[in-house]
Amino acid sequence: MATLLFWPVAALALAGAAGAALARNLVYAALSLGACLIGVAGLYLFLQAEYVAVIQMIVYVGGILILILFGVMFSRDVLGVSSRPTWGGRVLAAATGAVALACTVRLAVLVPGLRGTGLAEIRSSVDSWTGQISTSSPFHLGTLLLDGWLVPFLVLGVLLTVVLVAALGLVRKDAA
Amino acid sequence: MIDVFLSGPDRLLPYLLVAAALFSLGVVSVASRRNAVGYLMGIELMLNAANLDFVAYGRFRGPEPAAEAQVAALFVIALAAAEAAVALALVYAVFRNFRDVDLDKIRTLNGD
Repeated sequence: MATLLFWPVAALALAGAAGAALARNLVYAALSLGACLIGVAGLYLFLQAEYVAVIQMIVYVGGILILILFGVMFSRDVLGVSSRPTWGGRVLAAATGAVALACTVRLAVLVPGLRGTGLAEIRSSVDSWTGQISTSSPFHLGTLLLDGWLVPFLVLGVLLTVVLVAALGLVRKDAA
Repeated sequence: MIDVFLSGPDRLLPYLLVAAALFSLGVVSVASRRNAVGYLMGIELMLNAANLDFVAYGRFRGPEPAAEAQVAALFVIALAAAEAAVALALVYAVFRNFRDVDLDKIRTLNGD
């Protein structure tokens, strides 16, 4: 059952990403990005990361996607008629994308060869590991956050405050 | 290769391949979009790909690394939200000064 559902969810993520990267109309691109984010949330469910999946839906789909749709309204050229990529830009994009794809796929397939990095053991020991993860409940994540990750957590809080104030400062009426 | 497609969610490789494709599409988007908001969407795609790799590697390593990886993913999501807020504020400021958000037309530093 899970196997039957997995590839449609992965296909949703991939098709959404393709639409977000290639659609000419920016509104369609933003909505495709939403489909991609929902697909990635589904993949988190397959990885038994239910809490991350919920946060992905709330923060990404509910927050960032709305911000992006809001930003699309500032574009004078939503249909992308006058801001088509130049041919040089298209060739550059295709080349860099192909190089990135080749590097990441090669790395994914070759990980067992990376002796001494710790990644080799992952691939060799758990290539078909199907056990349940009992420690990834929100309670456990919260304990971890306030224990080993306390300093990054506090720094993140400060950063979010600074970001809010900076964003307000940028959009002030009397800002240059 | 066929058994990877038949086994689906219980193997590491499918997640890595999906994340690789997401990252590459993000790179394509960043390299080809001339609109600032489209550029931002490419960055979000790349962040999602990295997050998926984090959670997948942790999940297949064992219970403790799985929880650590999920905490890291939550940090990345929070940073992405902060980044989107600042980027949209910048887009708004640029739009007010230039009446456009085409990255190829924004060439001056002081707005005059």
